[in-house]
Amino acid sequence: MTTKSPKTPQSPTATSRRGALKTLAGGVAGAASLPMWARYAQAQSAEPIKIGFQVHRTGIGAAYGRWYDRTTQAAVKLINEGGGINGRPVEIVAEDDGTDPKRGAEVVEKFATQHNCDIGFGTLFSHVVIGSAPRAGELKLPYFVVSEGTHVSSGMLNRYTMQPGITDVRSQVISMAPFITENLGKKVTMIFPDYGFGYDHRDNLAPAIEAQGGEVLAKIAIPPSETSFTRYFPKIPRETEVVYHVMVGPGVLTFVKELGEFFGGRGPELFGFIDSLEAVAMDSPGLEFLEGSHFWEGMCRHAQPDESEYETFYRDAVGVDARGASVSDPTDVSTYGHMFGCWETLHVVKAGMEAAGYRGPQDRAALIEAVEGMTDMPLSQAHPQGAKRFNGKTHQVFGHQFISKVEGGMLKKVHTTSIEDTLYPDEVDYTTQSF
Amino acid sequence: MNQRLILALILGFLPGVLWAHASEQGFVLLLPTDFYIGAGVASVALTVVLLALLPAWVAARLFAPLAVVAVRGVPLRHVTSLMSTLFLAFLVWRGVSGSNDPSVNPLPLFVWTVFWIGLVSLQGLLGNHWRWTNPWTGLVALLGWVTGSRAPIRYPRAFGHAPGVVIFLCFAGFLLADPAPADPDRLALAVGGYWYLTLMGVTLFGPRWMVRAEALTILMRAYGRMGLLGRARGRLAVGLWGWQILARPRPGFGLAVFILLMLGSGSFDGLNETFWWLGFLGINPLEFPGRSVVITQNLVGLIVANAALIAGFAVCLWLGERIAGTRRPLGEAFCLYAPTILPIALGYHVAHYLTSFLVEGQYVVKFLTDPMGQGTDLLNLGTFYVTTGFFNTPGTVKLIFLTQAGAVVVGHVIAILLAHALAVRGHGNNWRAILGQAPLALFMIAYTFFGLWLLASPRGL
Repeated sequence: MTTKSPKTPQSPTATSRRGALKTLAGGVAGAASLPMWARYAQAQSAEPIKIGFQVHRTGIGAAYGRWYDRTTQAAVKLINEGGGINGRPVEIVAEDDGTDPKRGAEVVEKFATQHNCDIGFGTLFSHVVIGSAPRAGELKLPYFVVSEGTHVSSGMLNRYTMQPGITDVRSQVISMAPFITENLGKKVTMIFPDYGFGYDHRDNLAPAIEAQGGEVLAKIAIPPSETSFTRYFPKIPRETEVVYHVMVGPGVLTFVKELGEFFGGRGPELFGFIDSLEAVAMDSPGLEFLEGSHFWEGMCRHAQPDESEYETFYRDAVGVDARGASVSDPTDVSTYGHMFGCWETLHVVKAGMEAAGYRGPQDRAALIEAVEGMTDMPLSQAHPQGAKRFNGKTHQVFGHQFISKVEGGMLKKVHTTSIEDTLYPDEVDYTTQSF
Repeated sequence: MNQRLILALILGFLPGVLWAHASEQGFVLLLPTDFYIGAGVASVALTVVLLALLPAWVAARLFAPLAVVAVRGVPLRHVTSLMSTLFLAFLVWRGVSGSNDPSVNPLPLFVWTVFWIGLVSLQGLLGNHWRWTNPWTGLVALLGWVTGSRAPIRYPRAFGHAPGVVIFLCFAGFLLADPAPADPDRLALAVGGYWYLTLMGVTLFGPRWMVRAEALTILMRAYGRMGLLGRARGRLAVGLWGWQILARPRPGFGLAVFILLMLGSGSFDGLNETFWWLGFLGINPLEFPGRSVVITQNLVGLIVANAALIAGFAVCLWLGERIAGTRRPLGEAFCLYAPTILPIALGYHVAHYLTSFLVEGQYVVKFLTDPMGQGTDLLNLGTFYVTTGFFNTPGTVKLIFLTQAGAVVVGHVIAILLAHALAVRGHGNNWRAILGQAPLALFMIAYTFFGLWLLASPRGL
């Protein structure tokens, strides 16, 4: 599996018009940038590794898609500057999926059949992952998702679908329970949107809180189309010590404002997920009610005093300042808590391809096996969010989670979970499935 | 040149007009939009009241153009049209051969952002540039000159604007219901195919095809009537938006219907994104399943919205003529007043697309600095990051919202003024004009509310 054999240049089986035009254009581009290509001279072939990037350019995921793209471009630039993968440059082939599951499957098909991509990568929204993964499995295209969904480890997908660069919602939620019950209170009321995303939190948090000796007093589901929330707050039981909220969508700022006005700063502790306020500045007017409240963060948006050199390097490479905003516009706040997943996934792909001696699509199964064989990934430039542990059976990575407290409009890290806090029993062993 | 300057340039490109995105929605919901809607509707209503109190000639006088300079026909239009054709060919070629990312490939950027948002708005706000930018006329003239032949078939008079109406509805259907209208491959096929079919149409039927069947030219010529700049008695003249509508003869029935479709389709383009519409379809607005799930719903919605608008407009005109006691046939009134819908459609077009223009316009700049994707930096921008920061601060969101609302309100005020001037001209009597215009004025006031409500509504895509 890992023996390297001399590279036989891939010859495209069918020459499409696009292919021919690309070759022409490529010839011009190649001649114009000879020194860059010279870096790959030691490789058996300078033919690029093609990574199909399924990006949410339009549709409800577009705001995330823009940052996923920016992080991906930065990671690829770094990988190419370091000699590419197996001495070959990496080329990103981006296709917009419209944040649409049906188009997602079409895009995956285009990667495999039209663009001759080596892998598919980068999908965020769960419904697109669930819509696309079966097609990737049928086409035997390794499909590296960056979605946070628990659908990978739940066993509903297939051997070709992996999530090695970002942790999943279930592990995020359960790892919050010990901190909440020990530091904020044992009597919890949950407020969540009344659909799948909210149910993931509802179904995972309650058992975890109970396992810590706590109790979920009420579960308040809010209809997704709601834009005013005041009438739901009287449903919060009086003895509540912690309100756990995971609202998303355009109404979230109104929710926070109304919640703040309802309690007037004297209510229970508030605990939320940064998903609610991803890409929103914490010092925005109306968010002052969040002062003193706690948030889960996948990666700390605001630079912490103990920030690793790797994270500082990562911020710099992506073009993000110490407050998690674009270096060119401090009001352009990034999706900092999620987008590192693209960076880390691409580095896992690099490591996997190098371990597998990956040459081309004939080695796709070897790539999957190489990634399945991975376990501990130390904090490094490739993993700036922190150390990770990959579970080859469930195709899901596990890592540290952060809890931050809002102080003066800053998110200050107050707790880092252990990786053990985030683990849960395996529900699938994809390695038993044939390729 | 730094990024803020580029942004300022983009913002300055459309003077005093702005529009929306994801986190921006959250801030819009925190704005006192009820108050803004009330103020907007009140301004339009106040215009109606003022017109009732002021002398009859006021509205017409407002639209009197100011002749500026005598100009001769500019002969270069065929040359610029040919350049436009060449550029379109380049775009279609890049659509097929370039990146599949719609934010990188110039074809979707130029078709949807530069043309559909920028050039269409410019046509309505400034005047008829389509005479120079149309990508067919130059080539048609050149072919005619080279071959010396004329169109072999006479365009059937009975067709009228019907082919244009059908093609416009197909265009609106593609824009609103196609799962991937910005996909470069798909768009290259649509744009290249349509360009070729139109060339065939003009070759077979002559230039009449262009003004009766080519939907974009019909749309552009209609919006050209809205522009500040136009021609009056051989001179270049400038006047309040819409002055050319009063200066021109009333359109035929087909064109009148076309104008209503412009507003109906534009309005549905906003409506189909709202929580209200998604709720109506039984779709969770926070988990929109993608455009491929709502193709039929959007097509049916497009047709129903347009039919409802035409019916509502016709009922108001019928009522107005009854109240005023004129014996004008409904069809005649319909054709006479249809152009007064243009400023509403234009105001809404500008408002609806403002936010996407602010974002996509930056991708256009990125393309311009590196047209072939080879890492060049022709505009010397340095590292250029697209930003949407203006959707994240309350001040900029408020500015954007008020600019959008302003475009909608100004469009309706002009529509009311135009309708009044036409009514006075038709009835010759101010009081009768006011009575006759009342139902249409109420319709426009209601439409102001609808347009502003659309801007303030939470959206799910």
